[in-house]
Amino acid sequence: MHNSSGDARTVAAVIEVEDLAKSYRVFDKPEGLAASVKSLFHRPSRTVEALKGVSLTVGRGEFVALLGPNGAGKTTFLKLLSGIITPTRGTARVLGHVPWERADDFRRRFALVMGQKNQLWWDLPAAESFRLHREIYRIEPGRFERTRDELVDLLGVRKLVLQPVRDLSLGERMKLELVAALLHEPEVLFLDEPTIGLDVVAQHALHQFLAHIQVERRMTIVLTTHYMKDVAALCHRAIVITDGSILYDGSLDQIVDRFTTHKIVTLDLDGTPTAADFAHLGFPCEVRGPRVTLRIDRQRIADVLPEILRGRQVRDVSVEDVPLEEIVAALFRSGAAGAARAPAEARA
Amino acid sequence: MARYFSIFLTFARACLVRDMTFRANFVLECLTSLGWMSMNLAFYLLVFQFTPEIGKGTGWTREPFFAFVATGLIINSIVQALFMPSAEELTEMVRTGGLDGVLVQPLDAQFLLSMHRVDFSSFANGLVGVGLLGWAVSRMDHTPPATAWLLYPFLILCGVAILYALVIMLAAATILLGRNQSLYDFWFYLTNFSRYPAEIYAGPWGGPLRALCTFVIPILLVVNVPARVIALPLEGQAWGLVWLAVTAAMASLVVSRIVFQTALAKYRSASS
Repeated sequence: MHNSSGDARTVAAVIEVEDLAKSYRVFDKPEGLAASVKSLFHRPSRTVEALKGVSLTVGRGEFVALLGPNGAGKTTFLKLLSGIITPTRGTARVLGHVPWERADDFRRRFALVMGQKNQLWWDLPAAESFRLHREIYRIEPGRFERTRDELVDLLGVRKLVLQPVRDLSLGERMKLELVAALLHEPEVLFLDEPTIGLDVVAQHALHQFLAHIQVERRMTIVLTTHYMKDVAALCHRAIVITDGSILYDGSLDQIVDRFTTHKIVTLDLDGTPTAADFAHLGFPCEVRGPRVTLRIDRQRIADVLPEILRGRQVRDVSVEDVPLEEIVAALFRSGAAGAARAPAEARA
Repeated sequence: MARYFSIFLTFARACLVRDMTFRANFVLECLTSLGWMSMNLAFYLLVFQFTPEIGKGTGWTREPFFAFVATGLIINSIVQALFMPSAEELTEMVRTGGLDGVLVQPLDAQFLLSMHRVDFSSFANGLVGVGLLGWAVSRMDHTPPATAWLLYPFLILCGVAILYALVIMLAAATILLGRNQSLYDFWFYLTNFSRYPAEIYAGPWGGPLRALCTFVIPILLVVNVPARVIALPLEGQAWGLVWLAVTAAMASLVVSRIVFQTALAKYRSASS
């Protein structure tokens, strides 16, 4: 399910970032007792550049995926946009506010959900955390009850709100975390790996919920994830960050168009085909029982496919793009920042 | 202010609900706390078997001294109940990145971080302190005037404010250092100074120590000033100490606020 807003960036910019950079000084801890004693007096340190001058704009109602390998700077970027940390250089405005000034008016208008951090009270039912949330965000009681009921029904967790959080499964906890985060009806939602560790059923439920709520409320959502299923199900735009820099910023479709040269053709045949049967085509071929998988040049699909099918008893055939995981993994490895960046007009 | 009070009540309610969930733990904490306090009181009773007064001519005879101990119990129970549980949790929050969730909420971070946990079992000592104060005052040679009774709760608040400021500065150190368990031990050692009458800090090293703990880290004013107001005649030097306690409380709160805000601006968050 993709963003239905078309090109929201041409409407109103909700997030504007210019040359945003964050570096940390980290201390190296030498190994061994003698080195540890020495480090009491002198600790070698180095500067780590978590983010190296990122610039981008996100429009109202966009659902943007931030992709990148571990340590790429995705979470640092979200923390800067949430005002948790201050940048080393650069500017950012979210909903017209400088995030790290931490104005209450700004903090009432966005929410941050971190898949690896629990924000509900651990020993108490989620209902208690919701009540606290109502006080902190000054939500009018009628509106609070309406929103809470709508959210718990959408996520199917009505029966869980009175159960201590510590007794819930990871998927149930994450659903209730989302309810808590959305009670004050934020305009911007930052999601940091919300589906991490969840089973496919819970992932699917979250996808449906997020897609619905984003369209319904015209919410701007920035999502970091390692799961391409999240991205494919929810986001129209993807930003790939590696080593603190933007490697790609554009639509998901363009990632496929720009960074793959072939499609995957899968055939289910009668009999026992062998790789030699397809060798004359000149494309990589894999055979498992009656199933044959070929990686065929995109430009030549229309010519080659009839030739493959001719004279064969075909039970099933499919033509698919290379899996997004594979493309993005290749992108991560490439590191060709400048060359890979999508042109501005392509993003518009 | 009303909103913050309402939020604090919501926090307190949630903590009470949690404490009631673990009733046995709650009762055990109360008993441990009362046991520790009883041992201290027994120790002081033993001391007064051998001397009628703590320091000759200081006025700290048995009953005034127990009024002093009661004042300490009341102040410490308030601090232990309202601020210490949150402060102790802060180290873990900084280390694990839990502080991130606090910083995105539209509330003063200092308030959220210092008052989100209430340990109701610590109030047990305070209640005993109130009882002990009543017992000691009723047996004292002099009856505290009405002014002393009016000043007493106000000075208790000043004492709590000084300790709160100290807790906040240690919390700030936690944010800057990332881990700070030893400094909370330091807090315990430091507050030990406040548990005895200032008059015992005399002599060539006691004098400077008394000055340090009065004017630099005003820990000696925390219990001494309210206890002196209620247990000893309210005259002469006592009024100077009252003003000093009020000034120290306000200055401590301002300095701790500045230190805390500076630390928050330098917060670097834990890796996810």
